[in-house]
Amino acid sequence: MDVANLASQLNAGTILPEGIVIVTLIAVLVVDLIAGRSSSRWTPYIAIAGLLAAVVALTYQWDSTNPIAFLGAFDSDALSLVFRGIIALSTAVTILMSVRYIEQSGTALAEFLSILLSATLGAMFLSGANELVMIFVSLETLSISSYLLTGYMKRDPRSNEAALKYLLIGAASSAVFLYGVSLLYGLSGGETQLDKIAAGIASGDTTQTLGLAIALVFTITGIAFKISAVPFHQWTPDVYEGSPTPVVAFLSVGSKAAGFALAIRLLVTAFDLVSEQWHFVFAALAILSMVLGNVVALAQTSMKRMLAYSSIAQAGFVIIGLLADSNAGYSSMIFYLLVYLFMNLGGFTCVILFSLRTGTDQISEYAGLYQKDPLLTLGLSICLLSLGGIPPLAGFFGKIYLFWAGWQAELYVLVLLGLVTSVVSIYYYIRVVKMMVVKEPHEMSETVKNYPEIRWNLEGMRPLQVGLVLSVIVTSLAGILSNPLFTIANDSVVRSAILQSSLSPSQPVASAIQPLSPSDLDR
Amino acid sequence: MLTALILVPIIGAILIGFLPTPEGSNLPRKAALAIAIGLFFYSFWLLTQLDLSQSGVQFTEYLTWAKPIGLNYTLGVDGLALPLVVLNGLLTWVAIYSTREKIHRPRLYYSLVLLVNAGVTGAFVAQNLLLFILFYELELIPVYFLIAIWGGAKSQYAATKFLLYTAVSGILILAAFLGIAWLCGASSFDLATISTEDLSQKSQLILLSLLLVGFGIKIPLVPLHTWQPDAYVESAPSVAILLGGILAKLGVYGLLRFGLELFPETWHLVSPGLAITGSVTVIYGALSAIAQKDIKRMVAYSSIGHMGYILVAAAASTELSVLGGVAQAISHGLILALLFELVGIVEDKVGTRELDVLNGLMNPVRGLPLVSALLITAGMASAGIPGLVGFAAEFLVFQGSFSIFPICTLLCIFASGLTAVYFVILLNRTCFGKLDNKLAYYPRVVRSEQIPALVLTAIIMVLGIHPTWLVRWIEPTTDAIAQSFHKPKIVAISQPNLIASFGSDLDR
Repeated sequence: MDVANLASQLNAGTILPEGIVIVTLIAVLVVDLIAGRSSSRWTPYIAIAGLLAAVVALTYQWDSTNPIAFLGAFDSDALSLVFRGIIALSTAVTILMSVRYIEQSGTALAEFLSILLSATLGAMFLSGANELVMIFVSLETLSISSYLLTGYMKRDPRSNEAALKYLLIGAASSAVFLYGVSLLYGLSGGETQLDKIAAGIASGDTTQTLGLAIALVFTITGIAFKISAVPFHQWTPDVYEGSPTPVVAFLSVGSKAAGFALAIRLLVTAFDLVSEQWHFVFAALAILSMVLGNVVALAQTSMKRMLAYSSIAQAGFVIIGLLADSNAGYSSMIFYLLVYLFMNLGGFTCVILFSLRTGTDQISEYAGLYQKDPLLTLGLSICLLSLGGIPPLAGFFGKIYLFWAGWQAELYVLVLLGLVTSVVSIYYYIRVVKMMVVKEPHEMSETVKNYPEIRWNLEGMRPLQVGLVLSVIVTSLAGILSNPLFTIANDSVVRSAILQSSLSPSQPVASAIQPLSPSDLDR
Repeated sequence: MLTALILVPIIGAILIGFLPTPEGSNLPRKAALAIAIGLFFYSFWLLTQLDLSQSGVQFTEYLTWAKPIGLNYTLGVDGLALPLVVLNGLLTWVAIYSTREKIHRPRLYYSLVLLVNAGVTGAFVAQNLLLFILFYELELIPVYFLIAIWGGAKSQYAATKFLLYTAVSGILILAAFLGIAWLCGASSFDLATISTEDLSQKSQLILLSLLLVGFGIKIPLVPLHTWQPDAYVESAPSVAILLGGILAKLGVYGLLRFGLELFPETWHLVSPGLAITGSVTVIYGALSAIAQKDIKRMVAYSSIGHMGYILVAAAASTELSVLGGVAQAISHGLILALLFELVGIVEDKVGTRELDVLNGLMNPVRGLPLVSALLITAGMASAGIPGLVGFAAEFLVFQGSFSIFPICTLLCIFASGLTAVYFVILLNRTCFGKLDNKLAYYPRVVRSEQIPALVLTAIIMVLGIHPTWLVRWIEPTTDAIAQSFHKPKIVAISQPNLIASFGSDLDR
């Protein structure tokens, strides 16, 4: 194999965006080493610039005709591009909100940024990983960085508790996932590449279906842990409550998006043969997540815990799109994740702002906030109402698209359940809005009575303000001007070969594989 | 053209909400009033431009919006929607005008009222199912705030109850719409592209029931009504005017437009049940109103009763009854707004709504003579005394429905007698009797407070004397709706020979 051929097989240009992130990471570290403590004035902007450059690099690959890289280990198709874009953007917005938070907590900003960037890197690689080893390495990069991030507030016992919990459960779920992956490796006759695994299993011994089912369940455990779907959600509320809030924001958007990207790729290609089974398992996950997430959120008194349960419920909604198994289904997922990015991060920005100014995140402490901080009230109200799916905000369009795709795929029960639980969700979102807007001055909480004067010129407050205004504007307008987002979502699904081949069974690749009938699996 | 009806209030709301005004300035109120009056006259002008020789939607506008979900910006109005839009403009003006000038948080209040106006107008003119849902849910949060912030002691409870009921109604309607578009194989949610003819009866029945329950909550029908008295009583009078006068009409409109028009065949199956529900609602509303000790609650229950007539009319779905139903919707909006307006003034001046405490407000010297006189007129209009608009509408309903559901209609006529009973109780206690001289030091009712009530009374009287001015806009559309039924033709009856045909109907 000559060098030119090898270079074309490596096709290393596809990971240019990740390369930019790595360079940024190193730049952040080096600037910190050189400039010392004062580096915090520059490093966040370097990181954001790097992430935005990565997004730009991703857009240049949109029309690429040869997405397969590294001998098939990495697939930089349109689907992965969109997910990598979502992840990079979510990190950029997270950095905007974290500057002041980290400053105020008295810890080093550059270290935080570099861990966050490596988590981003893991998540981005995970979105395009097409090979078992690659998947596991990037998954662990994401996970280990996340453990570090949750424990970043060293002196806060709750942060330590959250990190320990997350580490223990996360390590267990990684182990289970790895076991499932090893079964896949064996069943397919020693293949690690996802598309070859499917072919390998199909051509191999079809009596091994029990093994395949176990592999499926185990890998789903790993995925469900990442997207925090019920019943693999137990870590979520505790970790969300204890961790630094910017980290929670990243976990709820970036990490989740990576989990969904992994889910699509793994299920659609490697588990094509047991498609009915994984649909069944995910339907159960969606039902449980929607019901439990929304119902338990009703009882929360802490804002971060409430958002934790709300994010569990939102994952349940997104699974509907995955289950629809159609162009509309996948693109509705992507569309929802795109708008979820902004509305959820906007919500977290407001929560951070409030806790920076008051030091609490109890819902009851928000009472009467409109008097003291109209911008925060408006921003949080818009983001929460959008999460609840109130028109004309972006969340409404996202939910309608998900439900419409689900309905077209005849998932009537799931869609109806989604509709009913979204009424429940309106109730707990509006509870916060009611606290802030409806409560009169004499019902104001003590915290709000002692609300500090609003000063945006403190160090690190400007980025927070920019992040807040940006998320609120996008959340308000992305629904009304939704066509570009719809186009991106739809194009990415239509252009990615793995989805198209699984959606149209007449394709030669798919027909070569002898599909297992359900009766085979029952044996 | 119709876009202006939606955009102007939204832009107005945003400007009023965000532009800073000096403390204590009256600017938000003036701006909101100007916008509301402008909307009213503009929609009235549109009404005069409506081509009465055709029944389809007019002034259509079309823009593709979100193609993947079939949501298009399709607008259009016909004789069913446009009169309700005009009513919306009028009652928004009344609501703003009758708001106390010293209301707290004026900027938020006026911008929310304008948002409600925009949402309701949008729902009336939307010709795309998803666009309807969008506007239908758009008013949810503004109304919630209007009830909760400016309401009475238990207003937060009432507002949450309203929110949950309406949200449930919204998702039921959404589920039905998704089902309709999917089962019909329509490429978009545009009303014009949807036809349910090929659906099996079973799926039609399921979809229609979802719609009936959804809109039944909004109207509200017994037994889905429990949010309504709380919401009406706990909200400020001006908000109650919007709630009862306009928002409830969304339910009626939806029932006719999406229930009756989309499912003509299945409508026959459910119409007996609907007629019974309607007459139960009428009687329940009337009897509950008799039992009330609070005049606002009494008016709220009377509203439940009056909405029941519309359901009976829609169930019968003859040309005359549908016409009567829509006319009743509008006359109910006018009369209820007048009642809430007057009850609000009485509460404001006298300081109580208790029937046991109120007495002798007719007293020309120290009472509230003009308000009492208007209250008597409103009570008479609501009870269906001839010469006022309530009579004309109810008469059309009764006459149109009698041939199809004689017993239900008779029950309604009986209940309309009960209406007179509770209004006699209300008027007798409130307006007549002896004023207690020791307590009667009421603030004067200033001229500006009387203007909305006077305007409404004038409209009620004029339309009562000359109902043609009300029904001529509605008739072409409702005729077309009723004719789409394949039932034994009911002879088309035009306004002049009403009495003669009523006689012949009875002879049959």
